[in-house]
Amino acid sequence: MSDEDTIGGDDRHDLTAAEYALGVLGAEDRRAVEFRMASEPKFAAEVAFWETRLGGLAEAVPAVVPPTKVWAGIEDRLSASLSPPRERTGFWNSLAFWRTFAIASAGLASASMAGLVYLAQIPSLGPPLLATLDEQSGQPGFLAAANPADGTVTVVPAALLTGALQQSYELWVIPPGGKPHSLGLVDPKRSVKVVVPPELLPHVSADSTLAISIEPVGGSPTGQPTGPVIANGKLASL
Amino acid sequence: MDADARRRQLAAAINRVAAGDQAALRLVYAETSAKLFGVCLRILGERSEAEDVLQEVYLTVWRKAASFEESVASPITWLVAIARNRSIDRLRASGSSRASLPIEAAAEVPDPGLSAVERLEIGEDQARLRDCLHELEERQSTAIRAAFLDGFTYDELAAKANVPLGTMKSWIRRGLLKLRTCLER
Repeated sequence: MSDEDTIGGDDRHDLTAAEYALGVLGAEDRRAVEFRMASEPKFAAEVAFWETRLGGLAEAVPAVVPPTKVWAGIEDRLSASLSPPRERTGFWNSLAFWRTFAIASAGLASASMAGLVYLAQIPSLGPPLLATLDEQSGQPGFLAAANPADGTVTVVPAALLTGALQQSYELWVIPPGGKPHSLGLVDPKRSVKVVVPPELLPHVSADSTLAISIEPVGGSPTGQPTGPVIANGKLASL
Repeated sequence: MDADARRRQLAAAINRVAAGDQAALRLVYAETSAKLFGVCLRILGERSEAEDVLQEVYLTVWRKAASFEESVASPITWLVAIARNRSIDRLRASGSSRASLPIEAAAEVPDPGLSAVERLEIGEDQARLRDCLHELEERQSTAIRAAFLDGFTYDELAAKANVPLGTMKSWIRRGLLKLRTCLER
């Protein structure tokens, strides 16, 4: 394998992005890549580069018209995800508000402003850490406010999520350079306050990453993320 | 409608989806679902699975439309990436082995007889990619095509080509490096 030796360290790094885009990686490696995409924008851009360039290969695949029931199913799942929030109105619970906010807010600065406003609604909350949990390449999917003083993390959906019923959304904290630790399940339709286990509290600090992955109902069976990471972001103090 | 106008229309529709326009999603679906269903079906090999994943694909489009950037990707390559990632995740989750699929099936060339609608315009990137693939050794480009089109893992590709895993990894990695150099030229 002398040829393999000519591939330098940096190139190996970048090839992981190509391997992900090409699709040769196993499930665990794919999750690891998604976590890296979450915390390294340059790496995420490399994946996008490969997805764009390799995309042309799809022209070799013949088009096949799907049965009409597929669209009907999409409509059903969309309306199922749209109607409940409309019924429980209230400005602060309104997904429309959070979604508009999510689209409008580009960075943590504006997120902090709205975060502050939101947090003002919650009585007796100490100085928090905030994170916007962005979806893979941009739009915030969740807002998170961590309160180390009482050991809780409040997670608010910012985007309209349309998950299947047979899945759970699991929240993870990833200390810089460390592995993901589960903080429990969150809800894509309403805000959830998660109580952080005492042994994980030290990880809930500035520069740790919060991420949400899709898992089987009840959460990851392995203790590590097994499904796609749908949103993530770094904690920062106000 | 020419390819450029079509691409602009599709990009505009995705942008409207980002603003929560369900009718725009319907339009994106009408324009692209046959292509994406073909992509899902090719990887999953089973109609009912592919139908289910196709639903997830468009729900993902609904959720992630705001992250679509016209300057980075053409609408169809962006959609194809979502369809492939969803299909590959489903495939890995099912853990089914697809030992029966021959690797040669992936080397087939695009059918020039496809109608304009079926040949979704992938654009200049595609012509460039084709040229660059021609510069690779045949075993490299065959393996890369098979990985892309069928979603094979390194292990599956090695087993199919009857070579050690390290050899297959080396073929593909060296192929990807050459491909990147060529694509960036």
